[in-house]
Amino acid sequence: MHRRPRLTTWLYMSPLHLLLLTILTMPSLYVLWLSLNESSYGTGLTWVGLDNYRAVFQDGYFWRAAINTFFVVNGVVYVELLLGLALATLFVSGVPFRGLMFACVLMPYAISEVVAVLVWKMMMDPSVGAIARSLESAGFGMLNWSASPAIGLTLVGVINIWTHLPFTFLMIYAGLLAIDPSLYEAAQIDGATRWQRFMRVTLPLLVPTLLITLIFRLIFAFRMFSEVWLLTKGGPARMSEVLAVYLYQHGFRYGDFGLASATGWMMVLGSLLLASVFLLAMQRSMRGA
Amino acid sequence: MRTTFSPIERVARGLFLAFMLVWSVGPILFIVMSSFKRQVDIFTYPPKLVFTPTIDNYLKLISQWQGFFNAMGSSLIVALGATVLAGAVSFLGGYAYSRYRSRLTSWTAVYMIAVRVLPPIVVTLPLFPVIDRLGLSDTHVVLILLYATFWVSLNTMIMKNFFDQVPYELDEAAYVDGASEWQLVSRILARLTLQGLAAGSIFVFVYAWNEYLFALIFTTNNAKTAPLILSELMGAVDGTEWGVLFAGVTLQLVPVVLLVTLARRYLIAGLTAGAVKG
Repeated sequence: MHRRPRLTTWLYMSPLHLLLLTILTMPSLYVLWLSLNESSYGTGLTWVGLDNYRAVFQDGYFWRAAINTFFVVNGVVYVELLLGLALATLFVSGVPFRGLMFACVLMPYAISEVVAVLVWKMMMDPSVGAIARSLESAGFGMLNWSASPAIGLTLVGVINIWTHLPFTFLMIYAGLLAIDPSLYEAAQIDGATRWQRFMRVTLPLLVPTLLITLIFRLIFAFRMFSEVWLLTKGGPARMSEVLAVYLYQHGFRYGDFGLASATGWMMVLGSLLLASVFLLAMQRSMRGA
Repeated sequence: MRTTFSPIERVARGLFLAFMLVWSVGPILFIVMSSFKRQVDIFTYPPKLVFTPTIDNYLKLISQWQGFFNAMGSSLIVALGATVLAGAVSFLGGYAYSRYRSRLTSWTAVYMIAVRVLPPIVVTLPLFPVIDRLGLSDTHVVLILLYATFWVSLNTMIMKNFFDQVPYELDEAAYVDGASEWQLVSRILARLTLQGLAAGSIFVFVYAWNEYLFALIFTTNNAKTAPLILSELMGAVDGTEWGVLFAGVTLQLVPVVLLVTLARRYLIAGLTAGAVKG
């Protein structure tokens, strides 16, 4: 039962929309304006039209950062979905000491990116790190992530998966719990094997959950900053930058707000594009129900 | 539903679970254990699991790294402030979205989620000069506003779902008894939606306690939070101070790890209400 909004309804919504408007919406739109100007840290604007965009597109470091972002985001998100699905399925079908196990698996969710980078950096230190030395003695060679952008970004991906797997796991786990158990019983009575039940009952019903989780994680991985900045500072020679680090370097290190804003506006459009699928579905359900 | 597994399946499941346990808890245990080790024991290989614990690192942290405890105080102020602000705002918003509906409210709801997807780093560019001019840089207020804003969208959806579960007949009964809308919301519905408030609050608190990017850009001195200080110490420590750094990290992570593990029920409730249904 829903009523038509009255004046007081908007009053109840006003703190929410005031915050969003002043801190998210207006600044994000203002970035578009900043990107069409040259400025000194956002003041003293001079109109330059599309020059900033031209400069961004001609900058090899931008393309490097874009390609890095693409590979890291995709690598992270799909590995995480698979691991999350496996782990959630395991938990739903029963594990010993369930509560304790659950708490353990969730723990990394509570850890700051700063701390995550710190601990993985220590464990992967080529000369003293426990994991790095085990990998070395297992024949993987010296994994020197500070010298090789590819290894550095792989480690960034591992850290990102470590911090965000609990979220992915929880989302999929909640989705699994929402599936009606009588469907499994029916399938079992019809003689379906466990694998058939998973493929024909669980997976199709889980598709909406998996899609939402995928979109959430794509959007969140797309903005990745701390892991890269704290681990490699984008180096060596700016080869391991991602888009957010590229933006930060130009905005706050090189004082080039125009270039940074152009990058920022493209990130806004990229994020909205990723989210559009979800938003369209949501708009339909809000109106329909 | 009960399923039976063959011995091979059992072994495979056990191995996978064991791997996930070591993967999740191992790094955290490594930090906590190292904080109780003497410097020479921290980097021995293979790592020592049995050692004589010492609290020297903690004593050194207290006597020499006063800045760290100021930062912990900052983190607490900022995290509590953001939690309270986001809680109040999404409580009111969730009520309105649950009880009223029109074309306009449904569009503003979509807009609310749409802005949530914008990358935080993008808004730092335009906000940087504004916050500077308002004299708000390096204050707790800036961080509280930023942290709360990035969570009000999702938390409003969570609250809306919890309000939706309270039957509308209850509202009508309250109105018949002569209650005003504000009395209904603040006295009756508030009590019935506390679970949702708790669920949302955990997300905000954990985020604000751990956040790095905004703290890096908008604090320089007074309002520095614990993660920022730790990142600076991480870059600055020379060979002899690792144990002290690990002691600081342990103090930073233990409260939230406890919060998350003890309140895991609310995390699931919140995610289900905010994301899966919303």
